[in-house]
Amino acid sequence: MDETKFTPKIVGFLCNWCTYAAADLAGSSKTEISPLFSVIRVMCSSRIDHNLLLTTFFNGADGILIAGCHPGDCHYDKGNYYARRRYALLKNVMDTLKLEPERLELSWVSASEGKRYADVVNEFSKKIEQLGPNPIKKSSVF
Amino acid sequence: MTKKGVKISLEKGLQNQIRDFFKKGLEKGVFDAVILPVRVPGKDSYAWILMNNAKLIDQANPVPPVMPVQGAKALKALTRKGNGIINVATIMRSCEIRAAIELSKLNQVNLEKITLVSYDCPGAVPMKGYNRIPEEMEKSFQNALAGKDFANDKMKEVCGICVDFANSPADLHFGFAGMENDGILFSNSDKGTAILDTLKMKCSEDDSQWKNSVNIIKEQKSKNRIEVYKSIQPEVEGLDNLQTTFAKCIGCHNCQSVCPICYCRQCYFDSSASKQTADYLQDKAKNRGGIGFPRDKIMFQVGRMAHMSLSCVSCGQCMDACPVDIPVAKIFSYVAAKTQDTFEYHAGTTADGAVPLKVYKQDELNKIHELIKNAEPQGSQHE
Repeated sequence: MDETKFTPKIVGFLCNWCTYAAADLAGSSKTEISPLFSVIRVMCSSRIDHNLLLTTFFNGADGILIAGCHPGDCHYDKGNYYARRRYALLKNVMDTLKLEPERLELSWVSASEGKRYADVVNEFSKKIEQLGPNPIKKSSVF
Repeated sequence: MTKKGVKISLEKGLQNQIRDFFKKGLEKGVFDAVILPVRVPGKDSYAWILMNNAKLIDQANPVPPVMPVQGAKALKALTRKGNGIINVATIMRSCEIRAAIELSKLNQVNLEKITLVSYDCPGAVPMKGYNRIPEEMEKSFQNALAGKDFANDKMKEVCGICVDFANSPADLHFGFAGMENDGILFSNSDKGTAILDTLKMKCSEDDSQWKNSVNIIKEQKSKNRIEVYKSIQPEVEGLDNLQTTFAKCIGCHNCQSVCPICYCRQCYFDSSASKQTADYLQDKAKNRGGIGFPRDKIMFQVGRMAHMSLSCVSCGQCMDACPVDIPVAKIFSYVAAKTQDTFEYHAGTTADGAVPLKVYKQDELNKIHELIKNAEPQGSQHE
Protein backbone atom coordinates (compact mmCIF):
# COMPACT_ATOMS: atom_id res chain seq x y z
CA MET A 1 0.00 0.00 0.00
CA ASP A 2 1.15 3.48 -0.81
CA GLU A 3 2.00 4.93 2.58
CA THR A 4 2.22 8.54 1.47
CA LYS A 5 -1.39 8.62 0.36
CA PHE A 6 -3.89 9.20 3.13
CA THR A 7 -6.71 6.70 3.30
CA PRO A 8 -9.01 7.74 6.09
CA LYS A 9 -10.62 5.37 8.50
CA ILE A 10 -14.22 6.33 9.15
CA VAL A 11 -16.57 4.73 11.61
CA GLY A 12 -20.30 4.83 11.06
CA PHE A 13 -22.74 4.21 13.90
CA LEU A 14 -25.93 3.26 12.09
CA CYS A 15 -29.37 2.79 13.56
CA ASN A 16 -30.67 -0.72 13.03
CA TRP A 17 -34.09 0.29 11.79
CA CYS A 18 -33.37 3.00 9.24
CA THR A 19 -29.82 3.70 8.21
CA TYR A 20 -28.50 0.17 8.53
CA ALA A 21 -31.34 -0.99 6.30
CA ALA A 22 -30.52 1.84 3.91
CA ALA A 23 -26.91 0.69 3.83
CA ASP A 24 -28.17 -2.78 3.02
CA LEU A 25 -30.36 -1.41 0.28
CA ALA A 26 -27.51 0.63 -1.15
CA GLY A 27 -25.41 -2.51 -1.26
CA SER A 28 -28.02 -4.73 -2.84
CA SER A 29 -28.82 -2.13 -5.46
CA LYS A 30 -25.11 -1.98 -6.27
CA THR A 31 -24.64 1.73 -5.52
CA GLU A 32 -21.05 2.89 -5.46
CA ILE A 33 -20.06 3.61 -1.87
CA SER A 34 -16.81 4.82 -0.38
CA PRO A 35 -14.92 1.77 0.95
CA LEU A 36 -13.46 3.66 3.92
CA PHE A 37 -16.41 3.01 6.16
CA SER A 38 -16.49 0.61 9.09
CA VAL A 39 -20.08 0.19 10.07
CA ILE A 40 -21.25 -0.48 13.61
CA ARG A 41 -24.89 -1.35 13.98
CA VAL A 42 -26.69 0.02 17.04
CA MET A 43 -30.30 -0.47 17.99
CA CYS A 44 -30.98 3.24 18.13
CA SER A 45 -28.97 6.39 17.46
CA SER A 46 -29.71 7.48 21.03
CA ARG A 47 -27.92 4.39 22.31
CA ILE A 48 -24.62 5.95 21.33
CA ASP A 49 -23.01 7.17 24.51
CA HIS A 50 -20.43 9.93 24.33
CA ASN A 51 -17.82 7.47 25.55
CA LEU A 52 -18.30 5.30 22.47
CA LEU A 53 -17.65 8.27 20.24
CA LEU A 54 -14.69 9.47 22.28
CA THR A 55 -13.13 6.02 22.39
CA THR A 56 -13.44 5.87 18.63
CA PHE A 57 -12.07 9.36 18.18
CA PHE A 58 -9.18 9.07 20.63
CA ASN A 59 -8.13 5.73 19.21
CA GLY A 60 -7.54 7.30 15.84
CA ALA A 61 -10.71 7.25 13.72
CA ASP A 62 -10.49 10.05 11.17
CA GLY A 63 -14.21 10.57 11.02
CA ILE A 64 -17.35 9.44 12.83
CA LEU A 65 -20.79 9.39 11.31
CA ILE A 66 -23.91 8.84 13.36
CA ALA A 67 -27.00 8.15 11.29
CA GLY A 68 -30.52 7.27 12.26
CA CYS A 69 -34.16 7.65 11.31
CA HIS A 70 -35.53 11.03 10.28
CA PRO A 71 -37.03 13.11 13.09
CA GLY A 72 -40.51 11.84 13.72
CA ASP A 73 -39.73 8.43 12.23
CA CYS A 74 -37.84 6.83 15.10
CA HIS A 75 -38.63 3.18 15.65
CA TYR A 76 -38.71 3.96 19.37
CA ASP A 77 -40.73 7.12 18.85
CA LYS A 78 -38.23 9.73 20.02
CA GLY A 79 -34.75 8.24 20.25
CA ASN A 80 -33.35 10.32 17.44
CA TYR A 81 -34.38 13.55 19.15
CA TYR A 82 -32.31 12.54 22.17
CA ALA A 83 -29.49 11.51 19.84
CA ARG A 84 -29.55 14.94 18.27
CA ARG A 85 -29.21 16.61 21.67
CA ARG A 86 -26.32 14.38 22.69
CA TYR A 87 -24.63 14.99 19.38
CA ALA A 88 -25.06 18.75 19.75
CA LEU A 89 -23.52 18.53 23.23
CA LEU A 90 -20.40 16.62 22.20
CA LYS A 91 -20.02 18.73 19.08
CA ASN A 92 -20.12 21.80 21.30
CA VAL A 93 -17.48 20.42 23.66
CA MET A 94 -15.24 19.51 20.74
CA ASP A 95 -15.77 22.95 19.27
CA THR A 96 -14.85 24.66 22.54
CA LEU A 97 -11.68 22.59 22.80
CA LYS A 98 -10.97 22.99 19.07
CA LEU A 99 -10.74 19.24 18.62
CA GLU A 100 -11.82 19.39 14.96
CA PRO A 101 -15.55 18.91 15.46
CA GLU A 102 -15.93 18.55 11.68
CA ARG A 103 -14.86 14.96 12.12
CA LEU A 104 -18.09 14.18 13.94
CA GLU A 105 -21.27 14.16 11.93
CA LEU A 106 -24.93 13.34 12.35
CA SER A 107 -27.32 12.60 9.53
CA TRP A 108 -30.75 11.14 8.95
CA VAL A 109 -31.23 8.37 6.39
CA SER A 110 -34.42 6.34 6.24
CA ALA A 111 -34.61 2.67 5.30
CA SER A 112 -35.78 3.41 1.76
CA GLU A 113 -33.06 5.93 1.00
CA GLY A 114 -30.26 3.72 -0.31
CA LYS A 115 -29.21 6.41 -2.71
CA ARG A 116 -29.14 9.06 -0.02
CA TYR A 117 -27.06 6.79 2.20
CA ALA A 118 -24.46 6.54 -0.57
CA ASP A 119 -24.52 10.31 -1.03
CA VAL A 120 -24.08 11.04 2.67
CA VAL A 121 -21.26 8.51 3.00
CA ASN A 122 -19.45 9.67 -0.11
CA GLU A 123 -19.77 13.30 0.79
CA PHE A 124 -18.51 12.71 4.32
CA SER A 125 -15.60 10.56 3.10
CA LYS A 126 -14.58 13.28 0.68
CA LYS A 127 -14.67 15.83 3.46
CA ILE A 128 -12.52 13.71 5.76
CA GLU A 129 -10.04 13.06 2.96
CA GLN A 130 -9.67 16.79 2.56
CA LEU A 131 -9.32 17.29 6.32
CA GLY A 132 -6.42 14.86 6.50
CA PRO A 133 -5.53 12.40 9.24
CA ASN A 134 -6.78 12.72 12.79
CA PRO A 135 -4.13 14.71 14.73
CA ILE A 136 -4.54 12.27 17.63
CA LYS A 137 -2.39 9.83 15.72
CA LYS A 138 0.55 12.19 15.69
CA SER A 139 -0.03 13.88 19.02
CA SER A 140 2.68 14.22 21.63
CA VAL A 141 3.57 11.12 23.57
CA PHE A 142 2.32 12.39 26.93
CA MET B 1 -40.16 42.65 41.00
CA THR B 2 -39.51 43.31 44.65
CA LYS B 3 -40.04 40.75 47.32
CA LYS B 4 -40.73 41.14 50.99
CA GLY B 5 -38.44 39.54 53.51
CA VAL B 6 -37.86 39.35 57.23
CA LYS B 7 -35.55 41.95 58.65
CA ILE B 8 -32.80 40.34 60.68
CA SER B 9 -30.20 42.00 62.83
CA LEU B 10 -26.56 41.09 62.23
CA GLU B 11 -25.32 42.62 65.43
CA LYS B 12 -24.48 39.23 66.93
CA GLY B 13 -23.04 38.11 63.63
CA LEU B 14 -24.48 36.06 60.82
CA GLN B 15 -23.39 32.72 62.26
CA ASN B 16 -25.29 33.30 65.50
CA GLN B 17 -28.32 34.58 63.67
CA ILE B 18 -28.44 31.41 61.57
CA ARG B 19 -27.93 29.19 64.63
CA ASP B 20 -30.80 30.95 66.38
CA PHE B 21 -33.00 30.46 63.36
CA PHE B 22 -32.36 26.72 63.30
CA LYS B 23 -32.83 26.38 67.05
CA LYS B 24 -36.13 28.19 66.81
CA GLY B 25 -37.17 25.97 63.92
CA LEU B 26 -36.39 22.83 65.90
CA GLU B 27 -38.22 24.19 68.93
CA LYS B 28 -41.37 24.97 66.97
CA GLY B 29 -41.14 21.69 65.12
CA VAL B 30 -40.97 23.05 61.58
CA PHE B 31 -38.13 20.64 61.06
CA ASP B 32 -36.98 17.71 63.12
CA ALA B 33 -33.25 17.81 62.45
CA VAL B 34 -30.63 19.90 60.74
CA ILE B 35 -27.46 19.16 58.80
CA LEU B 36 -24.76 21.68 59.61
CA PRO B 37 -21.00 21.88 59.13
CA VAL B 38 -19.07 21.31 62.35
CA ARG B 39 -15.36 21.90 62.73
CA VAL B 40 -13.51 18.63 63.11
CA PRO B 41 -11.56 17.97 66.35
CA GLY B 42 -8.25 18.54 64.53
CA LYS B 43 -9.52 22.05 63.70
CA ASP B 44 -8.31 21.82 60.12
CA SER B 45 -11.52 20.94 58.32
CA TYR B 46 -15.29 20.71 58.58
CA ALA B 47 -17.74 17.83 58.43
CA TRP B 48 -21.48 17.70 57.79
CA ILE B 49 -23.35 16.51 60.86
CA LEU B 50 -27.00 15.55 61.08
CA MET B 51 -28.20 16.70 64.50
CA ASN B 52 -31.22 17.74 66.46
CA ASN B 53 -29.98 19.12 69.72
CA ALA B 54 -29.37 22.76 70.50
CA LYS B 55 -26.00 22.14 72.14
CA LEU B 56 -24.55 20.63 68.99
CA ILE B 57 -25.95 23.49 66.95
CA ASP B 58 -23.95 25.86 69.13
CA GLN B 59 -20.80 24.04 68.08
CA ALA B 60 -21.72 24.18 64.41
CA ASN B 61 -20.46 26.81 62.07
CA PRO B 62 -23.28 27.34 59.55
CA VAL B 63 -21.05 29.34 57.21
CA PRO B 64 -17.71 27.53 57.12
CA PRO B 65 -14.68 28.98 55.36
CA VAL B 66 -14.04 25.81 53.39
CA MET B 67 -16.08 23.29 51.43
CA PRO B 68 -14.33 19.96 52.07
CA VAL B 69 -17.37 17.92 51.04
CA GLN B 70 -19.84 19.42 48.63
CA GLY B 71 -23.14 19.73 50.51
CA ALA B 72 -25.06 18.07 47.70
CA LYS B 73 -22.99 14.95 48.36
CA ALA B 74 -24.11 14.94 51.99
CA LEU B 75 -27.75 15.20 50.90
CA LYS B 76 -27.17 12.46 48.35
CA ALA B 77 -25.75 10.20 51.03
CA LEU B 78 -28.76 10.88 53.25
CA THR B 79 -31.54 10.45 50.69
CA ARG B 80 -30.13 8.07 48.13
CA LYS B 81 -32.51 5.34 49.26
CA GLY B 82 -35.56 7.47 49.91
CA ASN B 83 -36.19 10.41 52.17
CA GLY B 84 -37.16 8.92 55.54
CA ILE B 85 -39.84 10.28 57.81
CA ILE B 86 -38.36 13.38 59.39
CA ASN B 87 -38.03 16.87 58.00
CA VAL B 88 -34.45 18.01 57.70
CA ALA B 89 -33.17 21.53 57.15
CA THR B 90 -29.74 22.52 56.00
CA ILE B 91 -27.84 25.63 55.09
CA MET B 92 -25.42 25.58 52.21
CA ARG B 93 -23.58 27.69 49.71
CA SER B 94 -25.38 28.55 46.51
CA CYS B 95 -23.31 26.10 44.44
CA GLU B 96 -24.14 23.30 46.89
CA ILE B 97 -27.85 24.09 46.65
CA ARG B 98 -27.68 24.21 42.87
CA ALA B 99 -25.85 20.88 42.74
CA ALA B 100 -28.52 19.37 45.00
CA ILE B 101 -31.23 20.69 42.68
CA GLU B 102 -29.45 19.18 39.67
CA LEU B 103 -29.11 15.86 41.48
CA SER B 104 -32.79 15.89 42.35
CA LYS B 105 -33.55 16.35 38.65
CA LEU B 106 -31.32 13.34 38.01
CA ASN B 107 -33.16 11.33 40.69
CA GLN B 108 -30.10 11.08 42.93
CA VAL B 109 -31.35 13.27 45.76
CA ASN B 110 -34.84 13.45 47.19
CA LEU B 111 -35.63 16.96 48.35
CA GLU B 112 -39.21 16.33 49.41
CA LYS B 113 -38.42 16.43 53.13
CA ILE B 114 -35.40 18.67 52.93
CA THR B 115 -35.55 22.41 53.55
CA LEU B 116 -32.74 24.17 51.76
CA VAL B 117 -31.43 27.44 53.14
CA SER B 118 -28.74 29.53 51.51
CA TYR B 119 -26.90 32.79 52.04
CA ASP B 120 -24.91 35.36 50.12
CA CYS B 121 -21.72 33.42 49.70
CA PRO B 122 -18.45 35.34 49.94
CA GLY B 123 -16.65 32.33 48.46
CA ALA B 124 -14.78 29.42 49.94
CA VAL B 125 -11.14 29.19 50.90
CA PRO B 126 -9.25 26.52 48.93
CA MET B 127 -8.82 23.40 51.03
CA LYS B 128 -5.09 23.25 50.39
CA GLY B 129 -4.51 26.75 51.72
CA TYR B 130 -6.81 26.16 54.67
CA ASN B 131 -5.42 23.00 56.15
CA ARG B 132 -1.90 24.40 56.16
CA ILE B 133 -2.80 27.50 58.19
CA PRO B 134 -6.35 26.97 59.47
CA GLU B 135 -6.44 29.71 62.09
CA GLU B 136 -5.20 32.41 59.76
CA MET B 137 -7.58 31.38 57.03
CA GLU B 138 -10.44 31.16 59.50
CA LYS B 139 -9.78 34.73 60.54
CA SER B 140 -9.56 36.13 57.04
CA PHE B 141 -12.75 34.34 56.02
CA GLN B 142 -14.68 35.60 59.02
CA ASN B 143 -13.42 39.10 58.27
CA ALA B 144 -14.58 38.81 54.66
CA LEU B 145 -17.96 37.58 55.89
CA ALA B 146 -18.37 40.32 58.46
CA GLY B 147 -17.05 42.97 56.07
CA LYS B 148 -19.38 41.73 53.31
CA ASP B 149 -16.39 41.41 51.04
CA PHE B 150 -17.37 39.45 47.94
CA ALA B 151 -14.11 39.92 46.06
CA ASN B 152 -11.64 38.51 48.55
CA ASP B 153 -8.55 37.10 46.87
CA LYS B 154 -8.09 34.38 49.51
CA MET B 155 -11.07 32.51 48.05
CA LYS B 156 -11.04 29.91 45.30
CA GLU B 157 -10.55 31.27 41.82
CA VAL B 158 -13.94 30.03 40.66
CA CYS B 159 -15.58 31.88 43.55
CA GLY B 160 -14.24 35.13 42.10
CA ILE B 161 -16.13 34.47 38.88
CA CYS B 162 -19.30 33.06 40.46
CA VAL B 163 -22.30 35.09 39.32
CA ASP B 164 -24.74 32.92 41.27
CA PHE B 165 -23.29 33.54 44.73
CA ALA B 166 -26.67 34.90 45.87
CA ASN B 167 -28.85 33.12 43.38
CA SER B 168 -30.23 29.69 44.10
CA PRO B 169 -33.68 28.18 44.33
CA ALA B 170 -33.25 27.44 48.05
CA ASP B 171 -36.44 27.59 50.11
CA LEU B 172 -35.04 30.35 52.30
CA HIS B 173 -32.22 32.79 51.73
CA PHE B 174 -30.20 34.97 54.11
CA GLY B 175 -29.23 38.09 52.19
CA PHE B 176 -26.85 40.70 53.57
CA ALA B 177 -24.78 41.92 50.61
CA GLY B 178 -24.44 45.69 50.60
CA MET B 179 -26.66 46.15 53.69
CA GLU B 180 -25.32 48.03 56.66
CA ASN B 181 -26.28 46.44 59.95
CA ASP B 182 -29.17 44.28 58.96
CA GLY B 183 -29.81 41.37 56.74
CA ILE B 184 -32.90 40.05 55.08
CA LEU B 185 -34.36 36.57 55.21
CA PHE B 186 -36.78 35.75 52.43
CA SER B 187 -38.50 32.78 50.97
CA ASN B 188 -38.23 31.44 47.41
CA SER B 189 -40.83 28.70 47.65
CA ASP B 190 -44.11 27.73 49.24
CA LYS B 191 -42.21 25.56 51.68
CA GLY B 192 -40.14 28.55 52.76
CA THR B 193 -43.16 30.80 53.13
CA ALA B 194 -44.91 28.21 55.28
CA ILE B 195 -41.89 28.01 57.56
CA LEU B 196 -41.73 31.78 58.01
CA ASP B 197 -45.45 31.79 58.78
CA THR B 198 -45.14 29.07 61.41
CA LEU B 199 -42.22 30.85 63.02
CA LYS B 200 -44.32 34.02 62.99
CA MET B 201 -41.62 35.96 61.20
CA LYS B 202 -43.06 38.99 59.50
CA CYS B 203 -42.06 39.80 55.94
CA SER B 204 -42.00 43.55 56.03
CA GLU B 205 -38.59 44.45 54.64
CA ASP B 206 -38.24 45.35 50.99
CA ASP B 207 -35.47 43.48 49.18
CA SER B 208 -34.65 46.13 46.59
CA GLN B 209 -31.56 47.45 48.38
CA TRP B 210 -30.14 43.97 48.69
CA LYS B 211 -30.98 43.16 45.10
CA ASN B 212 -29.24 46.27 43.80
CA SER B 213 -26.03 45.52 45.64
CA VAL B 214 -26.12 41.90 44.48
CA ASN B 215 -26.44 43.11 40.91
CA ILE B 216 -23.46 45.40 41.27
CA ILE B 217 -21.29 42.58 42.64
CA LYS B 218 -22.61 40.30 39.95
CA GLU B 219 -21.61 42.71 37.24
CA GLN B 220 -18.05 42.85 38.53
CA LYS B 221 -17.93 39.06 38.75
CA SER B 222 -19.23 38.73 35.20
CA LYS B 223 -16.36 40.91 34.05
CA ASN B 224 -13.87 38.74 35.93
CA ARG B 225 -15.51 35.73 34.41
CA ILE B 226 -14.90 36.92 30.88
CA GLU B 227 -11.27 37.62 31.74
CA VAL B 228 -10.73 34.20 33.31
CA TYR B 229 -12.39 32.44 30.40
CA LYS B 230 -10.15 34.36 28.03
CA SER B 231 -7.09 33.35 30.01
CA ILE B 232 -8.09 29.68 30.02
CA GLN B 233 -8.67 29.47 26.25
CA PRO B 234 -5.03 29.13 25.21
CA GLU B 235 -4.64 26.30 27.71
CA VAL B 236 -7.40 24.16 26.29
CA GLU B 237 -7.80 25.08 22.64
CA GLY B 238 -6.34 22.53 20.33
CA LEU B 239 -5.13 19.04 21.02
CA ASP B 240 -1.54 20.06 21.68
CA ASN B 241 -2.43 22.68 24.27
CA LEU B 242 -4.87 20.33 25.92
CA GLN B 243 -2.17 17.71 26.15
CA THR B 244 0.29 20.19 27.59
CA THR B 245 -2.21 21.24 30.25
CA PHE B 246 -3.06 17.69 31.26
CA ALA B 247 0.42 16.21 30.79
CA LYS B 248 1.00 16.24 34.56
CA CYS B 249 -2.30 14.50 35.34
CA ILE B 250 -1.62 11.48 37.54
CA GLY B 251 -4.93 9.83 36.71
CA CYS B 252 -6.16 9.73 40.31
CA HIS B 253 -9.69 10.69 39.20
CA ASN B 254 -10.10 12.79 42.34
CA CYS B 255 -11.85 15.43 40.25
CA GLN B 256 -14.48 12.87 39.41
CA SER B 257 -14.92 11.41 42.86
CA VAL B 258 -15.39 14.77 44.59
CA CYS B 259 -17.67 16.11 41.86
CA PRO B 260 -21.22 16.34 43.19
CA ILE B 261 -22.67 15.87 39.72
CA CYS B 262 -20.66 12.78 38.73
CA TYR B 263 -23.05 10.31 40.31
CA CYS B 264 -22.44 7.06 38.39
CA ARG B 265 -21.85 4.14 40.76
CA GLN B 266 -19.04 3.07 38.50
CA CYS B 267 -17.36 5.41 36.08
CA TYR B 268 -16.71 4.01 32.62
CA PHE B 269 -13.12 5.18 32.91
CA ASP B 270 -12.61 3.11 36.06
CA SER B 271 -14.15 0.04 34.51
CA SER B 272 -12.26 -2.72 32.80
CA ALA B 273 -14.20 -1.97 29.60
CA SER B 274 -12.03 1.09 29.14
CA LYS B 275 -8.75 -0.78 29.56
CA GLN B 276 -6.74 -2.10 26.65
CA THR B 277 -4.52 -5.10 26.11
CA ALA B 278 -0.74 -4.94 26.11
CA ASP B 279 -0.64 -5.91 22.44
CA TYR B 280 -2.87 -3.05 21.50
CA LEU B 281 -0.89 -0.54 23.53
CA GLN B 282 2.47 -1.73 22.24
CA ASP B 283 1.17 -1.47 18.71
CA LYS B 284 -0.06 2.02 19.36
CA ALA B 285 3.26 3.05 20.89
CA LYS B 286 5.03 1.75 17.81
CA ASN B 287 2.77 3.71 15.47
CA ARG B 288 2.91 6.94 17.41
CA GLY B 289 6.51 6.79 18.52
CA GLY B 290 5.48 6.41 22.17
CA ILE B 291 2.47 6.60 24.43
CA GLY B 292 2.14 7.93 27.94
CA PHE B 293 0.80 6.37 31.12
CA PRO B 294 -1.63 6.61 32.77
CA ARG B 295 -3.72 6.34 29.62
CA ASP B 296 -6.71 8.37 28.48
CA LYS B 297 -5.98 11.54 30.41
CA ILE B 298 -7.68 13.77 27.90
CA MET B 299 -10.37 11.30 26.93
CA PHE B 300 -11.32 11.11 30.61
CA GLN B 301 -11.67 14.87 30.87
CA VAL B 302 -13.54 15.27 27.59
CA GLY B 303 -15.77 12.35 28.56
CA ARG B 304 -16.56 14.03 31.85
CA MET B 305 -17.27 17.31 30.08
CA ALA B 306 -19.74 15.52 27.82
CA HIS B 307 -21.35 13.68 30.71
CA MET B 308 -21.68 16.32 33.39
CA SER B 309 -20.96 19.79 32.01
CA LEU B 310 -24.66 20.46 31.45
CA SER B 311 -25.19 20.18 35.20
CA CYS B 312 -21.85 21.68 36.28
CA VAL B 313 -22.38 24.34 38.95
CA SER B 314 -18.73 25.52 39.00
CA CYS B 315 -18.24 24.78 42.67
CA GLY B 316 -14.51 24.26 42.19
CA GLN B 317 -14.28 21.01 44.17
CA CYS B 318 -12.36 19.36 41.31
CA MET B 319 -9.62 21.97 41.48
CA ASP B 320 -9.50 21.71 45.26
CA ALA B 321 -8.93 17.98 45.01
CA CYS B 322 -6.39 18.01 42.19
CA PRO B 323 -3.03 17.01 43.69
CA VAL B 324 -1.07 18.41 40.75
CA ASP B 325 -2.87 21.77 40.47
CA ILE B 326 -4.36 21.50 37.02
CA PRO B 327 -6.92 24.34 36.73
CA VAL B 328 -9.72 21.82 36.20
CA ALA B 329 -12.48 23.95 37.71
CA LYS B 330 -11.74 26.91 35.47
CA ILE B 331 -11.66 24.65 32.42
CA PHE B 332 -14.94 22.95 33.34
CA SER B 333 -16.57 26.25 34.16
CA TYR B 334 -15.59 27.54 30.73
CA VAL B 335 -16.75 24.45 28.86
CA ALA B 336 -19.95 24.21 30.93
CA ALA B 337 -20.85 27.82 30.22
CA LYS B 338 -20.69 27.02 26.53
CA THR B 339 -22.60 23.75 26.60
CA GLN B 340 -25.30 25.14 28.89
CA ASP B 341 -25.71 28.08 26.51
CA THR B 342 -26.37 25.67 23.65
CA PHE B 343 -29.46 24.42 25.44
CA GLU B 344 -30.28 27.76 27.07
CA TYR B 345 -29.93 26.09 30.42
CA HIS B 346 -28.42 27.37 33.63
CA ALA B 347 -27.63 24.49 35.95
CA GLY B 348 -29.48 24.45 39.24
CA THR B 349 -30.96 27.93 39.10
CA THR B 350 -34.55 26.79 38.75
CA ALA B 351 -36.10 24.07 40.83
CA ASP B 352 -38.51 22.87 38.14
CA GLY B 353 -37.84 21.60 34.65
CA ALA B 354 -35.62 18.77 33.50
CA VAL B 355 -31.96 18.47 32.58
CA PRO B 356 -31.44 19.14 28.84
CA LEU B 357 -30.68 15.56 27.84
CA LYS B 358 -33.97 14.32 29.27
CA VAL B 359 -36.13 16.50 27.04
CA TYR B 360 -36.22 17.65 23.44
CA LYS B 361 -38.08 19.84 21.02
CA GLN B 362 -39.14 18.59 17.64
CA ASP B 363 -37.67 21.52 15.80
CA GLU B 364 -34.37 22.62 17.29
CA LEU B 365 -30.60 22.68 16.84
CA ASN B 366 -31.01 23.04 13.11
CA LYS B 367 -27.79 24.94 12.84
CA ILE B 368 -25.52 22.23 14.19
CA HIS B 369 -24.72 20.86 10.81
CA GLU B 370 -25.36 21.07 7.14
CA LEU B 371 -25.74 17.33 6.70
CA ILE B 372 -28.84 17.60 8.84
CA LYS B 373 -29.95 20.55 6.79
CA ASN B 374 -29.70 18.45 3.65
CA ALA B 375 -32.21 16.13 5.20
CA GLU B 376 -34.67 18.94 5.76
CA PRO B 377 -36.42 19.03 2.37
CA GLN B 378 -37.71 15.59 3.18
CA GLY B 379 -38.67 16.80 6.63
CA SER B 380 -42.21 17.70 5.62
CA GLN B 381 -43.27 14.12 5.07
CA HIS B 382 -41.63 13.04 8.30
CA GLU B 383 -43.27 15.42 10.74
